[in-house]
Amino acid sequence: MNWNLNTEHYYVRFAHEDDIENIYALLSTKGVVKHHPKSPMVVEAQAMDEARRMVMQFEAKEAAFWLVEEKASGKVIARIRLQKFNWVNASAQLVLDIFPDYKIPAHVAEIVYAVLTLGYEDLSLHRIEWLLQASDARTIELAKAFGFQYEGQLNSVIEFEGQWIDYQVYSMLNEDEQWQQAIKNEGL
Amino acid sequence: MKFVANVDFNGGQLRPLDKSDVDTIIKLYQKQTLAGQSEAASKEHAERLIELSVQMAATQRGLMWAIEVDGKMLGMLSLYDWQPTSLKTLMRLDALPSLDQQHQVDALHSGIDYLAHKYHLRNFSFQCLPEGEDAIIDVIKLAGFEQSARLRDFRRTSQTEFSDILVFNLILTESTAGEQ
Repeated sequence: MNWNLNTEHYYVRFAHEDDIENIYALLSTKGVVKHHPKSPMVVEAQAMDEARRMVMQFEAKEAAFWLVEEKASGKVIARIRLQKFNWVNASAQLVLDIFPDYKIPAHVAEIVYAVLTLGYEDLSLHRIEWLLQASDARTIELAKAFGFQYEGQLNSVIEFEGQWIDYQVYSMLNEDEQWQQAIKNEGL
Repeated sequence: MKFVANVDFNGGQLRPLDKSDVDTIIKLYQKQTLAGQSEAASKEHAERLIELSVQMAATQRGLMWAIEVDGKMLGMLSLYDWQPTSLKTLMRLDALPSLDQQHQVDALHSGIDYLAHKYHLRNFSFQCLPEGEDAIIDVIKLAGFEQSARLRDFRRTSQTEFSDILVFNLILTESTAGEQ
């Protein structure tokens, strides 16, 4: 199975040793992590630790992480992952860390479509959910535009900086009409 | 060391599971529900459940109480996916037909009250199937739970079939914890 994906504008690929500074650049940017919730990284050693965790979670079959490299510039503009694999219920969660300037619907659609295709076709997932904070209005708009359906709210999931965080639940099933249409259109 | 406390409620008590509870557990665990079970219980399952209940409580991953009224076990109140650092837990309530609704509500209130004070839990949830769980849904609504989501095809029921689940939540604020 080939985990490295190739879209029109991006290489959606696994990280390698030289990506520490790319991971740091991404996850030290407040606009990237503010809705997750997570504090921005402040030293590069945190990126090394993050890279180790990415490998460990993949080896444990708990998550898969991809860096998104823009073909034209060679810049890593995002990290996307499927996490919390539930192999019994055939489900996983989608998480996207992306520089705000690159949160352009057509380009995000290209990246998300590539990962969902792998999730549904290669990993035989049935349900992919996207948990988003209500404050993350731009990503919510993207999720809706791609055909993710709103299912409700998970309350007080985690505590961050003294606040309890609620998540809005969006999901796409592999048999949803929107996904079936996306397959026909070869894109979201 | 005792990991599961006895908790009194109006007309009964929550108590740790005991080896003599096997037959009742088998009766309670015949229906398909979500948390902690995917098939009907047998004697071996029930015995293992009793052993597991101690391990779960000792490691704060879960907890199981027998609901006893007039000296008879008539139900169970259980915690699964207990997350001490996030102060939350998934719950499950099982009742024999002879355990009336008010006793179920009182048992649930007392369990939540105990967990809020002893472990500072504040986020309690239930996951219910959309069909066939009306009685439990009535009880948890009476206890203050509200539906927060319906997760589509969240649970696999066979090789090719999935079921939605309904998520119910009760979040205690400092003031409601006092009222509980």
